[in-house]
Amino acid sequence: MDTIRIQTEDFDLTQEYQLLRGLSGTVGAVVTFSGLVRELEHESSIESLSLQHYPGMTENLLQDIIDQANVRWNLIGITVIHRVGRLLPSDQIVFVGVASEHRGDGFYAAQFLMDYLKAKATFWKQVSQDGKQFWVDSKDSDADAAAGWESNES
Amino acid sequence: MIHLLFFGRLGDLAENVPTTIVAETPADILRLLAMDFPLLAVALSEPQILVSVNKMIVDWDQRLVDGSEVAFLPPVTGG
Repeated sequence: MDTIRIQTEDFDLTQEYQLLRGLSGTVGAVVTFSGLVRELEHESSIESLSLQHYPGMTENLLQDIIDQANVRWNLIGITVIHRVGRLLPSDQIVFVGVASEHRGDGFYAAQFLMDYLKAKATFWKQVSQDGKQFWVDSKDSDADAAAGWESNES
Repeated sequence: MIHLLFFGRLGDLAENVPTTIVAETPADILRLLAMDFPLLAVALSEPQILVSVNKMIVDWDQRLVDGSEVAFLPPVTGG
């Protein structure tokens, strides 16, 4: 049972955890990750972050990433939530939760899902700082993290 | 008629670009835009820019059919 949600509103960690926990009596592990808006960008405080995405394509890409995780590991359920629109420092941006029988599958899959989401899913961040807006540059380290899975069959 | 979409910083450069165009391929679109929007054309020519047709990543020489949605995608920064 996999879930993809792209939304402006916040999400509730406990609620998402309980949904994954309750999927089946065979769930033995739930691994969750949540990403937050950092207060600092280039060592200076930001005012806000604005997240744009490509509706339709983003959902397709996330489904593809989830499908790949399900092929690689023995998983019971995956939830991916990504917020869009205007966010403030320390707001939650992204949630990845994985329910599995055993913890190893969950840990690996959660990291894989986040690495691939960051490298491939069609989201773009714009920062407001000192009254100006600028688009965030992609990081080579994010592309490298995803590329690392191409040759890693863990 | 081909529908055009520009995301991220490309959207800022494409503010005055028409939302539709007649073109055979994405590369063709780039050539057509270069005449009136040279700054945008330079940005689109960067090797990390991806192009999609109807929400699938394609090559720049992909043949387009009438009604296609072509999107230009800078490197993503979600998560």
